Amino acid sequence: MHLRVYRFDPSVDREPRYESYEVPYQPRMRIMDALDYVHEVLAVDIGYRWLCGSKKCGSCAVNVNGLPKLACWEPVQERMTIEPLSNLPVIRDLVTSRAPYEAALAKISPTLVRRTEYAGFPEPLKSTDVAPTAHLRECIQCLACQSACPVLRTGDTDFAGPALLVALSELAQDPRDGAERAALASDVANVFKCISCYACEPVCPAEIPIVREAIEPLKRMAYRVGSTPGARRAHAFLDTVKQRGYANAAAVAARSGDFGLGALGVALKMRRRGKLKFSDALGGRATPGLEGLRRTYETSEKEDK
Amino acid sequence: MKRRYAYFPGCSAKGTCRELDTSTNAVAALFDVELQELENPGCTGAREFRAISEQLHLTANARILALAERVASALVVVCDTCLLNLIEVNQRLREDAAARERVNRALKEEGLQYHGKVEVKHFLWVLTEDLGEAALRARIVRPLRGLRVAPFYGCHIQRPASVLQEHSVRDVPALDWLCTVLGAEVVDYPGATRCCGFHVVRTDEKIALRLSGSHLGQAKGNGAQCVVTPCPLCHTVLDAYQPKMASTHAASGDLPILHVSQLAGLAMGLDADALGIPRHVVACEDVLTHVAGARLASSDRP
Repeated sequence: MHLRVYRFDPSVDREPRYESYEVPYQPRMRIMDALDYVHEVLAVDIGYRWLCGSKKCGSCAVNVNGLPKLACWEPVQERMTIEPLSNLPVIRDLVTSRAPYEAALAKISPTLVRRTEYAGFPEPLKSTDVAPTAHLRECIQCLACQSACPVLRTGDTDFAGPALLVALSELAQDPRDGAERAALASDVANVFKCISCYACEPVCPAEIPIVREAIEPLKRMAYRVGSTPGARRAHAFLDTVKQRGYANAAAVAARSGDFGLGALGVALKMRRRGKLKFSDALGGRATPGLEGLRRTYETSEKEDK
Repeated sequence: MKRRYAYFPGCSAKGTCRELDTSTNAVAALFDVELQELENPGCTGAREFRAISEQLHLTANARILALAERVASALVVVCDTCLLNLIEVNQRLREDAAARERVNRALKEEGLQYHGKVEVKHFLWVLTEDLGEAALRARIVRPLRGLRVAPFYGCHIQRPASVLQEHSVRDVPALDWLCTVLGAEVVDYPGATRCCGFHVVRTDEKIALRLSGSHLGQAKGNGAQCVVTPCPLCHTVLDAYQPKMASTHAASGDLPILHVSQLAGLAMGLDADALGIPRHVVACEDVLTHVAGARLASSDRP
C-alpha cells in the first residue's frame, strides 16, 4: 500500500508537507494499523491520535483521500492520502485541536438544565420521551461531520456545524430539559445557516440522520422564535404558497423583508430575462380555487403545535 | 408505446425557470410521453415547510401524491428538492400506517386520499431508465460531439442515501451517462456532487457564492464549455448569481448553465427558442454555435 501522509508541526514548520510510505497489506487491516506500522516499524514520529480503537471514543478521525474516516474502524485503501480533519486547527500532523469545538459546546449549555428537581433513580421516563433522540445519543463526537460541512469550509464562523447541532438537539428534545434551547439554536448556533446538503450524513460513523433528526427539529424551534432571516423567510414562503398556490421568488423576498441592495443587481438581471416580475412583490390578490389547499395546510400546521 | 405520467413541475419551473417546464414538455413530446400536469397541487415546501411543521411537510407532499395517484402510477418531477421531499414522504407514508392515517384525515376534507401507490421519479430517470439508450439515440439528430459538459447533480437527487437510491446506467451515474449518449464529453471535477447553496442564497448569499463560485471555477478550469443540472434551484444560483461570483469568487462569469431537458433537446434538434435558452442570464451562444455545427455521423445511430 502507498500512504501519503500530511506532516506539519506549526511550532517548527513554515508550511505543511507530505511524506510517502510503503506499508505491506495485511488482511482486515484498518487505517490505524497502517499508521501504527509507519510509527512502530518504519520508526517515523508521525503524530496521530487514538484511545479506544473500537469506535467509541471518537478521537481518531482523519481525512482519507478527502473524506473523513474513523481510523480505527475503516479498512485501508491501496493508495491513501491521509490528512488531518478539515475546519479545525492542526496541533501536529494528523492531530487536530478540539478546543474550538469545545468552546462552542460550552456556549450552548451542554448539560441537562432540569425543569424540576431530579426525582432519583430510576427516572420516570417513557420510551416515547427518549425515542426522538435515540439516534442522536449514538454520537461519539468524532467531528467527521464538522470536517465534511461545506458551510464551515467557507470559513463561516457563526454556524455551529452539525456536531454541535446534534449535541444541542439531543438536549432540546429531552422532555426533562428546561433551558432556552430555541434561542440557542436560533441565535447562538445559527441553525438556519445549514444549507441542507446532507454532506454530514454519509461520513457519520454512527449513521445518524443528522438533518432530519437533529437539525430540522432545531429549525422548527428556531422558527417559532422567528428572529433570524431564515425563520422569517420560511414564514414568508408558507404565506406565499397559501396565497398563490406556489412559491413566487419576488413575493417571498418581499414578504421576508429581503430588500438588500446586493440582491437588486441579481433581480434586475433576472427581470431582464423574464425570470422575475417586480409587480409580484407587491402582494396581489389570493388565487381563487385554493380554499381547500389553505384549509389542509392550516389544519396540519396546527396539529404540530 | 405511449407512456403516461402525472407531472408536478414545481414552483421554480412555473416561475423563474419557466424554460425548464417548456423544454421538458418539448422533449417529452418527441417520445410520445404524456405529462399530465396536476391542477393546483401546491408546493412540496422546499426546505421551508419541514422547518415549520413536520405535519405540514407530510400533508403538503401527501396532497401532491394523492392528486398524482388519481392520474397515473408514476409522478414525474424536474426539481431535486421536490424529488427528495416527495420520495421521502412517500417512503414514510408507505411504512408508517399511523402517519398515513393522520395525513389522510387532513386530506379528507378536500375529498383526497393517498394509498401509497405512486412511484416518484425525476424526468432525468424517465430519459435514462424508462426510455433508455436505443430510444434516445434514435432521436438524436445533432450529437453534441466535442462539447465538454460538466454535470452538476445537486444534493437532493443523491443524498441522503437512506432515502434516495443511486440511479446509474451500467455503473455510470445517470447524468454522466446521458451526456455521453447525447454525444458530449463529460468533464470530471470535484464540484459535480456538491452543494450550490441555494437554500441559503437569500439569507446568506456569501455562502452560496463561495460554494458555487468554487465549483464553477473548477469546472471551467477542467475545460467545461457548459454545465448541465437536473435542478432549477441549482440552475438559479449557478446562472443568475454567476455574474456576482465572477467579481468576487473563482468563477469566470461566462459559463452557460443548461437544464437537462435543454441539453437533450438540443441534441434532438429542438431549437434554442423552443427550449427557452435565451431566458438564461449567462449567454449560451457559444454552446449553440458548437451544437449548430454538429452533423449526424453513421456511428451515432444504434
